[in-house]
Amino acid sequence: MGVRVSLARSYSRRRRWYLAVALSAVALVVAACSSSSTSSTPTSSNTASTSSVKTGGQAVFALDEDVAGFNPLQYSDNEYVLGEIDNEVYPSAYIVNPNFTISMDSNIFTSITQTSSSPQTIVYQINPKAVWSDGVPITAADLIYNWQAQSGISKYKDVGNAAYLPASTAGYDQIKSVTSSNNGKTATVVFGTPFPDWQSLFSPFIPAHIAEKVGFNNGFQNYGSSVAVSGGPYMIQSYSKNVSLIEVRNPKWWGTPGNLNKIIFDFILDDSQGPPAMANGEVNMVNPALGSLTELDSLKAIPNVTTSITPGLEFQHIDFNEANPYLALASVRHAIAYGTNRQQMIQRLVDPLTSKIGLLGNRIYMPVQPQYQDTSNGYGAFSTSQAESELKSAGMTMGSDGYFHPNFGPEKGQDFTLTISTTSGVEERQELEELFQADMKAIGVKINIVNYPANTLFGTIGPKSEFDIIEFAWVQSPFATGVDSIYCSYTNTADCGENWDHYADPAVDKLLTEASSTTNTATEAADFNAADALMWKDMATLPLFEEPTMFGWSSNYGNVIPNASSEGFTWNAQEWGEKV
Amino acid sequence: MWSYILRRTVAGLVVLLVVTFVVFILVVLSGNPLATMMANPKISPATIRAAREALHLNQPLLERYWNWLWGLLHGSFGTSFSGQPVGSQLGHALLVSLRLAIPVVILSVILAVVLGVVGAVRQYHAVDYVSTGMSYIFFATPVFVLALLLKDFLAVDINQWAGHTILYTVGPESPGFTGNWWQTFVNSTQHIVLPVVTLVLVTYASWSRFQRASLLDVLNADYIRLARAKGLSPRRVLYVHALRNALIPVTTVVALDFAGLLGGVIITEIVYSWSGMGTLFYNALAGGSGISPDVYIVQGWLIVAAGAVIAFNIVADVMYAFLDPRIRYA
Repeated sequence: MGVRVSLARSYSRRRRWYLAVALSAVALVVAACSSSSTSSTPTSSNTASTSSVKTGGQAVFALDEDVAGFNPLQYSDNEYVLGEIDNEVYPSAYIVNPNFTISMDSNIFTSITQTSSSPQTIVYQINPKAVWSDGVPITAADLIYNWQAQSGISKYKDVGNAAYLPASTAGYDQIKSVTSSNNGKTATVVFGTPFPDWQSLFSPFIPAHIAEKVGFNNGFQNYGSSVAVSGGPYMIQSYSKNVSLIEVRNPKWWGTPGNLNKIIFDFILDDSQGPPAMANGEVNMVNPALGSLTELDSLKAIPNVTTSITPGLEFQHIDFNEANPYLALASVRHAIAYGTNRQQMIQRLVDPLTSKIGLLGNRIYMPVQPQYQDTSNGYGAFSTSQAESELKSAGMTMGSDGYFHPNFGPEKGQDFTLTISTTSGVEERQELEELFQADMKAIGVKINIVNYPANTLFGTIGPKSEFDIIEFAWVQSPFATGVDSIYCSYTNTADCGENWDHYADPAVDKLLTEASSTTNTATEAADFNAADALMWKDMATLPLFEEPTMFGWSSNYGNVIPNASSEGFTWNAQEWGEKV
Repeated sequence: MWSYILRRTVAGLVVLLVVTFVVFILVVLSGNPLATMMANPKISPATIRAAREALHLNQPLLERYWNWLWGLLHGSFGTSFSGQPVGSQLGHALLVSLRLAIPVVILSVILAVVLGVVGAVRQYHAVDYVSTGMSYIFFATPVFVLALLLKDFLAVDINQWAGHTILYTVGPESPGFTGNWWQTFVNSTQHIVLPVVTLVLVTYASWSRFQRASLLDVLNADYIRLARAKGLSPRRVLYVHALRNALIPVTTVVALDFAGLLGGVIITEIVYSWSGMGTLFYNALAGGSGISPDVYIVQGWLIVAAGAVIAFNIVADVMYAFLDPRIRYA
């Protein structure tokens, strides 16, 4: 799944926790049609040319933060901006397309096949032409190293006998072995326990022969010869901290060469400075972390600039702390959900940017994903009468001041009062809370707004469950495995550490476990959707709306196709070019 | 004089030592740097444990302080969470900030002194009113407003009128720029004009008011009256007898503001994408990679900022002695 990311942090920090593969409608159909022991694979990488472009020239892309390091698999370097930089540098098994389908990168692999489901076995056939920019062939040794580094298995050590520090072990920790054959051009991955999202693995992967020498944890922290090694159409030529990073064509690239001579990443830390820089011709492309109406208007006012607002995988939601004696009652949670006018929130906060966002009916899949189903079954529909009815059934009486008074608990006889908390200093969230507060007042619930810095909210308030209601955004992963730790019963502290809400439902646990251990993608989606339907019935959390993603680029460039997935804007940068 | 400087320096170092402890405690109290990482379900407890050990967060407080202080005393500011030496990051940021601060101070002092003198000498004349009005306008205008106005209405319009880029709005240099020394100098100048103009307008405004008020005080003093009575020319009275004394308060302000310019122009840096001390501090506070704040950078920055304030205070005291012969330090 994603991480709790404060909107404030997403202004300047976007995390790419998940690896760059999504389960597609194509893959679902393919998997559903296949037997349990074999499955065919998605075909070649997407080529999405839209116009004729010339060879040569350069493009300048504004990035809203500098990189922390250059290893996308290491815990401290794994950031969205690095992903946008290394899209064209490090190879990946699968690519997420703008429509959230996935494609195998046929430049790197000639085929990837699940040859057995028990034990689950995946065979990777590496393109014989695939070679790193220093001339070393890309082989199974690279996959073996990348597995070991991310497996979490203590016997595998980094240089200096240090423990590896990967950003995630998800999936890799379920692999039993990775073996090489066919002179290193075939890698066979055998799973100890089934992992349905296996297409998320090795996307990207780093050069083993480099990492083994310089170290996985620290060898890619500073720009140097180790970072310059590429397995993609471009390679990093130079880097000036907090100023810019320049990529040039990889001379050893065996596929279709990139059109541009250079791709320049300009670090402009404040998203609002992107439009003036575009107006001044200093940058050609922007992708602000959180697009505002002001930025959109600024971009639209610039001649010869194209803008795009696309729903993505990020969504806002509120959590209920069931340790609160009132929120422990499902009727109270349902009352709050019925009383929340989510459509109005969308109208006020999202519609100025795009009309493509509707009510969210699922907390595991987003509407842009083919697995999405509205599993709300009417729960969460806006109805003040229903809300009041639920509060009455919970044992509350309407007071003369317009607020309900509980007949039990610590607020017996007083105004029923709850607090809502989010990250401080974020205008959109402040407005969202105010809308929520007004909605609750209309149904007789008093809401106090108490916000904290992101560090405190996610470091103390959330994990210690020191809240009544908490609001933040999830940056969703295309892969649903990983949501377990958020929604499985909080009593299971080993596996459900992200359940801050004291939520527990054994039926949901069962479905989540089944979903995460099946190799059948259709079954996985069905189980996750069934779990989500139960969570609506429980009103575990209330999903609010998707966050749209904004892109802007100079119309002088062709083949620029926004991608709101984890791939980011540069997913097809080798196809960019100045229009003829 | 030298013994005075030595005494002040030693006292400054003692203050700095106390500041290291205060800074350390304040940063510790600001929160758990690994909070966001810990909130990420995909990062294993083993990774978090390893990160805590790698960053010495598992050590007792005083031990951690002592290790950091010991490193400081040996010229090391520690390592940031990204594994890069804090010292080199601070050094790079300081150089960027100095590139802005030095021309800003020089131009602001010249402008402030000239306009302050004109305003005082021509008190209540048209030129004084205009100068005062302009000062108040620039003093009252927020830096980010001024920066955005210059960016949007000056740079973009000039560039569009010229048909090519004369004034750049992003960064200290064009990415990937190559050329001979003159071309590089021109390119750098094109990038530095806007942020310097922004800061000069804001900075000179307050300094000119100080200068004007200070000179008016001096011009009304008895010894100036005597100088005029002795028949000295107005020019001599002003530049030889009055101005030197009138510069003393301004010297104090300039010294303190210079230290502030080194660390506090975050808004200008953000608007123009200059990665100086302000940006470094802001990014370290915001953190990244699941780690916030980047404590070693924050601590190092605060120490450098405190050191700058102490150092420039000493410089200001020394300047007094040169400006006013009556001041002699024992």
